Amino acid sequence: MRFMMIVKADKNSEAGVLPSAELIAAMDRFNKEMTDAGVMLAGEGLHSSAKGARVTFHRNGTRTVTEGPFPDTKHLVAGFWMIQVKSKEEAIEWARRCPDPATGGETSEIEIRQVFDLSDFPQELQDAAPHEAAMRSR
Amino acid sequence: MRFMMLMIPRSYATPGADAVARMARYNDALTKAGVLLALDGLHAPAEGTRVAFASGKATATDGPFAEAKEVVGGYWLIDAKSKDEAVAWASRCPAGDGDVIEIRRVQEGD
Repeated sequence: MRFMMIVKADKNSEAGVLPSAELIAAMDRFNKEMTDAGVMLAGEGLHSSAKGARVTFHRNGTRTVTEGPFPDTKHLVAGFWMIQVKSKEEAIEWARRCPDPATGGETSEIEIRQVFDLSDFPQELQDAAPHEAAMRSR
Repeated sequence: MRFMMLMIPRSYATPGADAVARMARYNDALTKAGVLLALDGLHAPAEGTRVAFASGKATATDGPFAEAKEVVGGYWLIDAKSKDEAVAWASRCPAGDGDVIEIRRVQEGD
């Protein structure tokens, strides 16, 4: 099963402060470990929300575009890994082994979320999206 | 440049076949335009776990969580020429009332 390990933002990641060379080296080792174990499918870091935007959808069909940065830093995504493991417990174990992703001595957090596979949906919904299997990360 | 379009859904109710078909047409349009790199949907936050790091110690807490309002429910990874193009693609999504798509640029190795 696939899980997304979502690294939450902190004050420094939102300020665009780059991680130390030490943290980058530790992350590189962690990534290599996950790659060697055949666990890692993808991993990305995001620019701060200041460079982002949000589109809000309204009932009458209109959309509102809001430019970043966005408040509530600890709920923002700073980066993620997509991993393939046998259980949620294994996903949690990998997250625990991750180097503390904090870039400034704050408490940091990784959220682990199971990713939907097509087989999680009833056949009727799978039939409604015939091309989707090829679009999902593998 | 690559962008994540992070879907922050208002609800996690299973969509009907009509809504799925509308979203499938949107995903097909992204594919035909050569924009779509990957997409995925996530199980509800209540089924997730959070691992917090403090003073070198990792502590795992299972969901549900009190504040799960502004939490990601899925994403599209796209390749667009500008943030404006990414916002334009997000605006075309057949999303539901109250849904939000957050557009975030992905860091490249440069």
